[in-house]
Amino acid sequence: MKKLLALILALVMALSLVACGGGKTTEEKPAGDSGSSSSGSAEPTKMTLILRGGTYGDVIKACLPAFEAEHNVKCEVLDLSFDDLHSKIALNAPNPQGEYDLCMVDGSWMAEFTANNVLANLSEMGYSFDDDIIPATTDICMVGDDIYLAPYFGNVTVMLYNKQLIADAGYAPEDIDTFADLMDIAQKTNAAGKKGFLIRGGSGDNIVSDFIPHLLAYGGWVVDENNQPTVNTPEFKAAFENYIALYKLGDTMDKDDIVAAIDNGDAALGQGWPGWYVPTADSSANYTVIPTKLDDNDTPKNTSMYGVWTIGVCENSPNKELAVELLEYLMDPEVQLSTIDGGGVPCRYSCLLNEDVLAKYPHLETVCGALETGVYRPVIEEWAEFTNILGTEMDSVIQGVKSMDQGLADAQSALEALLA
Amino acid sequence: MKRTASLTTRTGAPHLGERAFPRLMIAPTLLVMAVLTAYPLIFTLVYSFTDYQYLKGTDASKFIWFKNYIDLFQNGYFRQAVLNTIKFTILAVVFEMVIGLLIAVFIHSLKRGQKVMRTLILLPYLLPAVTVALSWRMMLSSNYGIVNQILETFGLPVYNWFMDTKTAFGTVLLIDVWQNVPFVFLLLYASLQSVSEAQYEAARIDGAGVVQQFFYVTLPNIKNGLALCALLRTIDTFRLFEKVNILTGGGPAGTTSTITQFLYNYGIKSLKFGFGSAGAIVMTLLVLILSSFYIKRAIK
Repeated sequence: MKKLLALILALVMALSLVACGGGKTTEEKPAGDSGSSSSGSAEPTKMTLILRGGTYGDVIKACLPAFEAEHNVKCEVLDLSFDDLHSKIALNAPNPQGEYDLCMVDGSWMAEFTANNVLANLSEMGYSFDDDIIPATTDICMVGDDIYLAPYFGNVTVMLYNKQLIADAGYAPEDIDTFADLMDIAQKTNAAGKKGFLIRGGSGDNIVSDFIPHLLAYGGWVVDENNQPTVNTPEFKAAFENYIALYKLGDTMDKDDIVAAIDNGDAALGQGWPGWYVPTADSSANYTVIPTKLDDNDTPKNTSMYGVWTIGVCENSPNKELAVELLEYLMDPEVQLSTIDGGGVPCRYSCLLNEDVLAKYPHLETVCGALETGVYRPVIEEWAEFTNILGTEMDSVIQGVKSMDQGLADAQSALEALLA
Repeated sequence: MKRTASLTTRTGAPHLGERAFPRLMIAPTLLVMAVLTAYPLIFTLVYSFTDYQYLKGTDASKFIWFKNYIDLFQNGYFRQAVLNTIKFTILAVVFEMVIGLLIAVFIHSLKRGQKVMRTLILLPYLLPAVTVALSWRMMLSSNYGIVNQILETFGLPVYNWFMDTKTAFGTVLLIDVWQNVPFVFLLLYASLQSVSEAQYEAARIDGAGVVQQFFYVTLPNIKNGLALCALLRTIDTFRLFEKVNILTGGGPAGTTSTITQFLYNYGIKSLKFGFGSAGAIVMTLLVLILSSFYIKRAIK
């Protein structure tokens, strides 16, 4: 009896294993493989877009219905955080046929992704830049003459300020053109019982990214021409001392708190990105360009740092040609112009300097100026680890856990070991 | 009687079929465990001796033997993360056990309202860790958080809870304890149900007070439950990740960095799975060492 029972159980298990494991044995070929030729078929082609969550991805989503109708496709969109977006694109890359068609890419991932064949060569697929795109924003998008990405969302560091508090300090936005002005406003605001200058805490990337404009103003950089670390230099120390002095007149917060504090008048100044906040004529906060000089006697430098969100096509996209068509559609000047009301910041002169647009969103002229002179983060594969190390050491100095000399010496040696 | 005779040999030893049957029955479980537990563990161990980088693929990876482990132990951020994790685990488990036990004893002693209290106390444990972290982040926001507003109302000093080295670790600890005390309560409350009322009655007749009853009747009766609870909480707390990742990202100045957070930042985010695997193996060993006391006790 027991033998019979065991036999039955074994049979049931074998059957259930077969049933569970028995998927489709033939792969369905995506209908959209032949590009727009699918537009006549009854079943819409499914495309998957993997995007940065928030305004960056929302403006793309708003543009999709017209493309879907015209090409008979159905787009599924994944909105992800910065880290999740990077991980998912990377984890999908080694598969012969991937899950994603169009992806949003941060400039700092470019070296890693192109070195490992994650992105499709857009030049080979017939894509090229037009003259309307702000030239400096395309620097990160190319390897040699080959285009791998298109600059989509003009994220560049700008100075977020509270209109009333800077007026109380005796400044008009256009008067803030040196780092000495920032210090003066921060000191006056702090003396009045409010926070003068806010810096962003949290991850190493936040800390390093927000500090870089200060470093640029002091003529420093995080790596030399051979991509070796240069974080224990006189320029770095001077910039960092100034940054800490500003922090002591304010506070460290996360992104949402910085925006809220400046918007509700608790703080005067803080660095930000255009995607964080959409000012209008009657809003209490606005953006201005980050000062380019230390004081009136200094020579101007490029101090705005790019965080441009670019779009590209995954090398293993199941609908590669269709994805390139979607990319071209999203980069179309008219389509990009339509995204501005939703908070979009195209990297195009025709959009950012459009008279109607400027009448409604005057801060975009500032953003356009910053995009013309911005600086990209170093193109190194180890950038994520680089910012983890440098950010942690800088945070230790800011928090008083380590001295400036000790923190920067530790950072330098750890980064040298990383890039060795 | 006839059936027994057919399953045993003349010497009384179990028949081959009788020996094979239980083995056949546990075979599926063993198979599932092997696939789900042993297989990943072995692969993690193997990868930990390689320089496997996910984007470069396994073909490009080579054996580097103990280099990942050496790098790991030479890494100051990892050592800080290990110390933080051990400190956090010990403090969290102690607080959770003490508070959970006190609540369990209190609820158990209630004549009325046990069910309502039981349900209310369990609520924090039912919430996902991510929801808990986001809710606390809003409440403790230095800008618009209700906690600072209340402190300000009473003229008390306010803090930047997650961004200050003096408060960040304690704040994350408090949130973790708040969420996990109900788990301890539930397990110990269940253990308390099994303590015979007759023992308390006998203790009372012998003149034992409330404190003596607790130490000489309650605790000895629930010691197995306590050990199991401490084991489960130790293992779970050691793997703390979501709350730290959402609330502090390991900062400020690495004061809340845990082993899992370190592995995420330096192994997973940079896709260095060989290095990450070495960290995972070290973490597994540390959990085993920390929980060996409880496991030994459970085996006894």
